[in-house]
Amino acid sequence: MKKLVVEGLKYRYPGAQELALKDISFEVETGEFIGIIGRNLSGKSTLCQALVGLVPHFYHGAYGGKVIVDGLEVKNHTISEISRKVGIVFQNPFTQVTGSKLSVLEEVAFGLENMGVPRREMLERIDDALQLMGLEESKDRNPFDLSGGQMQRMAIAGIIAMKPQMIVLDEPTSQLDPQGSEEVFQAVQSLSREGMTVILTEHKPEKIARFADKVLLLDDGRVVDFDTPAQVFSREDLAEYGVEAPIYTKVCRQLNLRRVDSGLFPITLEEAREVLEKWR
Amino acid sequence: MKSISLYVDRDSILHRIDPVNKMVYILAAIALPILVPNWYMALICMLCSLFLLWIGKVFQKSLPVYGFVFLILITVILIQGLFHPSNETPLFSLGLVTYYREGFLFALWITFRVINIVGSFLILVLTTKPSDLVESLVRRGLSPRFGYVLGSVFQIVPQMMSTMKRITDAQRSRGMETEGKLSVRIKAFLPLIGPVVLSSLIQVKERAMALEVRGFNAKGEKTFLHEEKAYVATRSILWGLWTVMIAAAVWRVFL
Repeated sequence: MKKLVVEGLKYRYPGAQELALKDISFEVETGEFIGIIGRNLSGKSTLCQALVGLVPHFYHGAYGGKVIVDGLEVKNHTISEISRKVGIVFQNPFTQVTGSKLSVLEEVAFGLENMGVPRREMLERIDDALQLMGLEESKDRNPFDLSGGQMQRMAIAGIIAMKPQMIVLDEPTSQLDPQGSEEVFQAVQSLSREGMTVILTEHKPEKIARFADKVLLLDDGRVVDFDTPAQVFSREDLAEYGVEAPIYTKVCRQLNLRRVDSGLFPITLEEAREVLEKWR
Repeated sequence: MKSISLYVDRDSILHRIDPVNKMVYILAAIALPILVPNWYMALICMLCSLFLLWIGKVFQKSLPVYGFVFLILITVILIQGLFHPSNETPLFSLGLVTYYREGFLFALWITFRVINIVGSFLILVLTTKPSDLVESLVRRGLSPRFGYVLGSVFQIVPQMMSTMKRITDAQRSRGMETEGKLSVRIKAFLPLIGPVVLSSLIQVKERAMALEVRGFNAKGEKTFLHEEKAYVATRSILWGLWTVMIAAAVWRVFL
C-alpha cells in the first residue's frame, strides 16, 4: 500500500526568485525506511516540511502538484490535521522543546493535550513512547537538563506518542556528538522495526547505507535518483551532486571490487569485508 | 536549571489553595483600602497579608523584596512629613527643618497600603508554582495560546540569559571590551544585543514550527495530563472574598 505519494511537487518560498522544489515525484510504501541525500540547499529540508504541511501552510508561497499522505492531500488540510498522520523531528533539539513544560513527561504530553486525548490513554501512550526511546528514567527531569541526544529522543517521543503512521526526521543528528547520534539512530531503527514509515535526511552516508531501504538523491530541487542504497551509492557521478559514498564504497571503488551477485560496490562494513576477504 | 520563578516549595495550607483564589485575594487587598479609606482598614489588611505570608511559611523569603520596597517608602515618609499640604502640628525639628505629624500619618497610611499590596502579590508568587497557575487559568477558559506564553516565559527567559552570556564570552574572546567605564559598556551593547535578538528570532521560527506540528492550533477540546488539583475550600474562599468586597462597596455607597 502506498503511504506517501508525491506528484509533480513544485514550491517557491515567498519573496524568492527561484523554485526551491522543481517537479518532485516519488512514492513510498508502508513501513519503508527512506533516506534523503543531497548537498546543502538541494531542497531536502523543504521537501521534509512539504510532507507535513509546513510547506505551504506555515510559509505560504507558490505551490504546485500534490502530496498525499495516507490518503490525505496536504494542501487541503491544516497542519494539525496532518500531524495525526505524519510527524516531523527537526535538526536542533533545543528549539523543539516547547519551553512551557517542566518535566519530560509533560513535554511528551504536549501534543496529546492539544489533540484532546483522554488522560488515561495519554499516560499509556507516553509510557510506550518513553520506553521505546529509552527515556523512562528521565521522565521527571527538566527538559532543558537533558543531553543533546536525550533531548532529540524526547522530541521523537513527543511525536510518536501522537501515533502518526509516518515520521520525517530532518537531519536529526547533525548537532549531536557520535554517542548521541548513535542513540538516535538506534531509536529510529526500533521505530522502523515496529512498522512505521520513516523518512530521514542525513549527511552521513554510512548511516543511510546501513539503515535505509531506499535512497532519494536530490539536487537543485529535483529528484536525481530514487533506488536502493547500493544502486545510488554505486553511481559514477555522485560527486557532481555534492554527495559522498560511504567510506567502504570508496575503498572498494578504488580497488574496483564489486559484489558478485549484484555487480555493485559494497556499501556497508559487512559487505566490504565479504568482498575484501575473497579478494585477498 | 536556573529558574526565574520565586516559588518556594513548602508544605502549607496556602500552597494548597487555588491560584485563582490568590489572584482574587490580590484584587481584594487592593480594593478594600480604596473602598474603605481609613487607617484601620489599611492596618487590618496589611496585618492580614503578613499573617498569610507567615502561614505560608514564606515570610522570610519575602524580606528581601520588602527591603527593596522600604527604600522607596523611607523617601515617602521623609517627604510627606516635611512637605504634606495639611502639615500643622510639628513632631520634631532639626535646625531649620521641621517634621510634621499630619504628613507622617499620611505617609504611614501609604506605607501600610504598599506593604499590603506587595504582600498579597508575594502570597501568589511565593506559594504558587507558575505552571499550576497557568493550568488553573487555562482550565477556567484562558486561551491555551496565552497560557503557553505565560508558561514559557519562566523557562525561555533563563535560556535567553544563558545565550546572552555565551555571546558576551564569544565577543570578549574576540577582544571586545565589555567591562569598565559606562562609555565602554554602552559601546559594547549593540554587538552583544544584536546576535541575541537575531538568534532568538531564528529560534522562535523553529519553535513555532515544532509547536505547530504538535497540534498547537488543533481545534476542539484540549485535555490535560494532570488531574485537576484538589485545592482546599475553593468555593468558600472565593465567595468569602467577594462577599467582603461587595460589603465594602455597599458600605462606601450607602453609609
